[in-house]
Parts: sequence; structure tokens; C-alpha cells
Amino acid sequence: MAEAPAAAALSCPNCGGTITLRAAGHSVTVACEYCASILDVSQPQVRLITRYREKTARLAIPLGARGTLDGIEWEMVGWMARSDSGYPWQEFLLFNPYHGYRWLIEQRSGWSLGEQLTLTPTGGSRGLVVDGEEYRPFFANGTARVDDVVGEFYWRVRRGDVVRTDDWVRSGAMLSREADDREVSWSRSRWLPRGTVEQAFGVAGHGRPWPPLPHQPSPAYPFLKRAMVIAAVAIAALILGAIMNAGGRTLWQGYADIAADGREQQITVGPIELTRPRQRVRVVAEVPALSNGWVDLAYTLVDRSNQASFTASKAAERYSGRDSDGAWSEGSRGASADFAALPAGSYDLIVDYKGNKWVDPSRAGGGSSFWNSAPDDDGQPDWRRDSTAPRVEIAVISRTGTGFGVFFVMLLLVLAPLGVALLIHAQFEHARRAESDFAPTSDED
Amino acid sequence: MTFRSAALPTRVCENCRSMLVRTDDGVGIAGEQAALPFDVSPIQIGTRGQFAGRGFEVIGRVRWSWTDGSWNEWLCLFEGDRHGWLAEAMGQFMMTFERDLAGMASDELNRIARGSPAIPGRRAMVDGQEMTIADAREVSCIAAEGELPFVAPPGWTIYSVDLRAPDGRLATLQREGDQAWFYDGRYVTLADLKATGLRAIEGWAMPQYG
Repeated sequence: MAEAPAAAALSCPNCGGTITLRAAGHSVTVACEYCASILDVSQPQVRLITRYREKTARLAIPLGARGTLDGIEWEMVGWMARSDSGYPWQEFLLFNPYHGYRWLIEQRSGWSLGEQLTLTPTGGSRGLVVDGEEYRPFFANGTARVDDVVGEFYWRVRRGDVVRTDDWVRSGAMLSREADDREVSWSRSRWLPRGTVEQAFGVAGHGRPWPPLPHQPSPAYPFLKRAMVIAAVAIAALILGAIMNAGGRTLWQGYADIAADGREQQITVGPIELTRPRQRVRVVAEVPALSNGWVDLAYTLVDRSNQASFTASKAAERYSGRDSDGAWSEGSRGASADFAALPAGSYDLIVDYKGNKWVDPSRAGGGSSFWNSAPDDDGQPDWRRDSTAPRVEIAVISRTGTGFGVFFVMLLLVLAPLGVALLIHAQFEHARRAESDFAPTSDED
Repeated sequence: MTFRSAALPTRVCENCRSMLVRTDDGVGIAGEQAALPFDVSPIQIGTRGQFAGRGFEVIGRVRWSWTDGSWNEWLCLFEGDRHGWLAEAMGQFMMTFERDLAGMASDELNRIARGSPAIPGRRAMVDGQEMTIADAREVSCIAAEGELPFVAPPGWTIYSVDLRAPDGRLATLQREGDQAWFYDGRYVTLADLKATGLRAIEGWAMPQYG
């Protein structure tokens, strides 16, 4: 069967220009593309409604231009410049004989694709619901005025036409209600990512819309959503790693007796095997009996293969007493010494240690008397004698984990991009909502 | 001249555009049809499709107009000799079926059927569902083609009231004198109808809904 022609031609009763009617049978109004006059094409006899003698606006998408959006080819058949209290936007009417009409809406260089709804939104808890999606109120009691018009339309249109508008939004889509005295119509427009219309219709690219369009999705949001999940996993892994490495592995554990007379003592223990090339080692000492005294501790780790030695020292000291403020104590019965980076090898640990007693200067000598047998006995309690078998408990621990410094640097590295994205998101959302007729809501989706 | 449907009395001859009416005595001529104005409708006589699981074929059309435009009503003959109307307006499609107005038990509709004016915005209960009067206007027949359930002479004018429900249901009440008809249906797309045998339009890719 022969194909039906796609268009009809008519001549403008005002300027005589040849006008192509691209949606014959649907179109009611044509604004002549040469002189801008408004014609009635609803009847076979074309009638002049309003005469203009103007050069029509140069359109970003010319009449008759075709472009494919979501796999459907559309032809631009009509254009309107509209505004609400000085805020302008433009609407391009798209037509396909098999798929009907759509709208391309341009505002601040941002594009949306709109279509008339065949159902009416229903009330939701915080807005309106269409197809199971909730839209929040954004603009109320607007008035949209037609400022300029070119091409053909399926209803009567003229410059100065005004409709009342209300808009609801969700991320990526806007729901609009337009009402005049005669009817109410609902439409839904979908935000088109930058470049979509430029690519489809060969329109020159523009800048980014700012402030953002009411339904424009935050550019940081998709990143934020993914980054939150990644950060949560990374932080969990970091914490788990820190917990697992915090204690370290005990290489040797034992004790050495402390002589009651406070002489220099030494023990040698080993072998202590270090397998990693740069090993952090901590020697932890604890003297449970220590009271008003100190223990000098000097450690020497000697590599059995080459006699290379590494030293560290630390004292455990603990004092307590009673004065006018009550009981007091200071110091600790434990002490730990660190070796930063030991080469791998088989080591002996030599511990030089000496238990000391503190003599209270205020009481020194005061308690001595002629029957004291020991010349250094000042009559005060001596932890080395009073406790049974005073000793120092020693543990050698290999520390494989990263320090807390590294942990916090890693935490910062994970959280910094998240913070930057959050800032961008917050700034975007603030600017987006600033135009709304409704107070910003505290919650966020 | 063949009549596709036993139930439909009227047919427009595609050669001479005479309106033929079947009576018990045979076929008579009821007048002359006007030529259909050019349009880019994707539907044509012979287009097939499915609705609610039942196949149909388009066998007739009436083109109506009102003060602000015009639209097509395509007559669809369903399996089992039932028929429905596929309305095509503003690039959208609606499938409706005639129903008995008395069975609607709608006070508002009954008032309008008896001659009261329909006021856009007013609500009407239809089958227990609240519908809104979207439009009410005088409409006139421009032209017709194919087989029809009634004689539709050019210039024939009736009162037409459109109703809409939030879920996409729609209905039309038509009134002429003291007679009224009620059509009930919903919005559809050509894809919903799995339409085939669509009209080929120059320069446009025809969608395949087979």
C-alpha cells in the first residue's frame, strides 16, 4: 500500500508564505514561521486570528528538525516562549504520528522531556503519587504566560495566554498541573542529562544550569551513595585490622627474680626468632610487688649470627603514700620499651635489672636507732623483702600492625572524598531548594 | 457492496461516498458523505489489534469537530460481533464501549441525559467510582467512512460530555434531543493494543507491535 504523505502545505493568509503542516488532523493553531501571525487551521479554510509582521525568533531547534530520544524519532513542530513573573523558559512541541506528542522544555540550559498524563496523581503522605513515585511540592500558585509562539499546536494558543501552575518534584522528574477556567491538565517531565538533547537534535551545548533545576538530580548523589557503602566497608576493615594487630604476637614470656639487696642482676633468654625484615618489637615488663621503689630495666637484643646488638631501657616505678590531701600514688608497676625496626634473625635478649627502694627524705634517718642491725634499714617497708619472691615478668611481643597514626591517616583518606562530595551535594541541594515556594524539609532521600 | 458486521446497518461507499443503509427491504441510500480532510493518523480501515485479550479490526470511522479542533472515532469490530470505539485525539488513544446508561445508576449522568447542562469540574459517581466532568461541548460530524452503527451525516450535531477518573478510566455521554448514549473505557497506546496493519506514513518508521 502506498505511504500516506506526512505533511500538508498551506499558505499564510497574511504573508503568503508556504507553511508545512506536520501534524495534520491534530493541529488547531499555526503561528506562521515567517510573519508570526496566528492562524486557525481547525477548518479546511485557514483563518487569520492575529496578524503580526515580525521576524520570528531564531530557534535552538528549528521547525521540522528531527531527533531520536529513547529510541523514538521526534519532529519539532511547535515552539513557545513562556515565563512566570520574569522567569523565562521555552517549550518545543515534538510529534511522531505513531507516538503522539512530547515536550522538550529548556530552562537555564537544562533540558527536560515532558508528556501529558492520562491519569491524575493521587495524594501521598508528603506530596503526590504517580506510578508509585512520590513527588514533593515545590512551586505553588504560579502563572505561566505565553510570550512568543512559532509553529503548530493541537489547541488554540495565542500570545498572552495565562494558566495557573503548581509543581511537585522528585529527583529527576517534575509533576506539573496547569489549569485555566476550562480544564486542568497534568504533565510529567523527566530531567535529561547534559548532552542528550545536544546530541539528539544537534543543538550547541551550553553551560550547566545554576541554580539547578527543581528536579535536577544532585551530581554528587550517585557518587555519595556508592562512596558511603565503600567507606563503610573500608572503615570496618580498618577497625577489624587494627583490633587484630593491636595485641601483637608474643615471642617470649617469662620472669626474673629480684634480689632483696638491690644488686645489679642479669638474665639472658632466647632464642627469639624474628622472621620479618623490619620488625617492631616491644618488651613489656611488669613488677607486681613494686611499691615505693623502682626497677631499672635495660634490654639488649643480640643477633646470634653477627652479634649485632640493639638496646633499649625503661624503668618501672611506683610510689604511694599519705599526706594532708589523703592517699596518693604515682607511676606504674609496668613499663614497656620499643625497638623500632629489627632485622630478621635469631636473637638473645639480655636483661640488666636492679630493684631499688625509695627512701622518703622526710623520714630518712629519723627512724634509725642503736639496735638496728642493718645500716641501711631506715625502718620503712621494703617491697623487695616484704613480698614473697619479688620478680619482674617479661614479655617480648612482635608488633606487626600499623600504628594508630597510620590508622587515622587511612581513615582520613577514606572519609575525605566523602566529605567533599557531601559539601558539593549540600551546596547543590541548598541552591536547588532556594527557589522553592515551600520551606526546605529537614529530611533527605 | 459487503457489510462486514451483521449488526451494523450503515456503510459509506468508498467509490461514490454514498451512505448506504440496510433495512429489511434491502439497501437504501441515506445521503452523501463529505470527503475526509487529510490527517496523519496511524490508524486506517483494516488496522488490527487486541484489547482485553480479544482481537479486533478497524472497519469504520467518524471524524468529529468542535470549536477548538477535531478528532477521529475509529469503529473496532471485535470477535463475537461486538464493537468498540477507538478515539484518537491530541495524539492519544482511548478505547470505549457503549453501555446502558440505565445500568450506571448515576444521578448526575441521568440529569445530564435528561437535558441538564454538564459543568466541567463537577463530580459524578459511575459504577461506584467518582469521575470528574472534564469537558462538555457541542460536536459535529465532519465526515465518515466504512461501516457504522448509525447514519452519521456531515453536520450532524450532538452534545458530548467527557468524564475522567484518576486511574485513566474515561467515559463519554452523548446526547441528541431526549436520547443519550454512554461510552465507558480507558486510555490505551498502540503498543498496548499490539496494533498491526497501521498506516504507513512517508518518512516515518512504523513501529512493530506484532
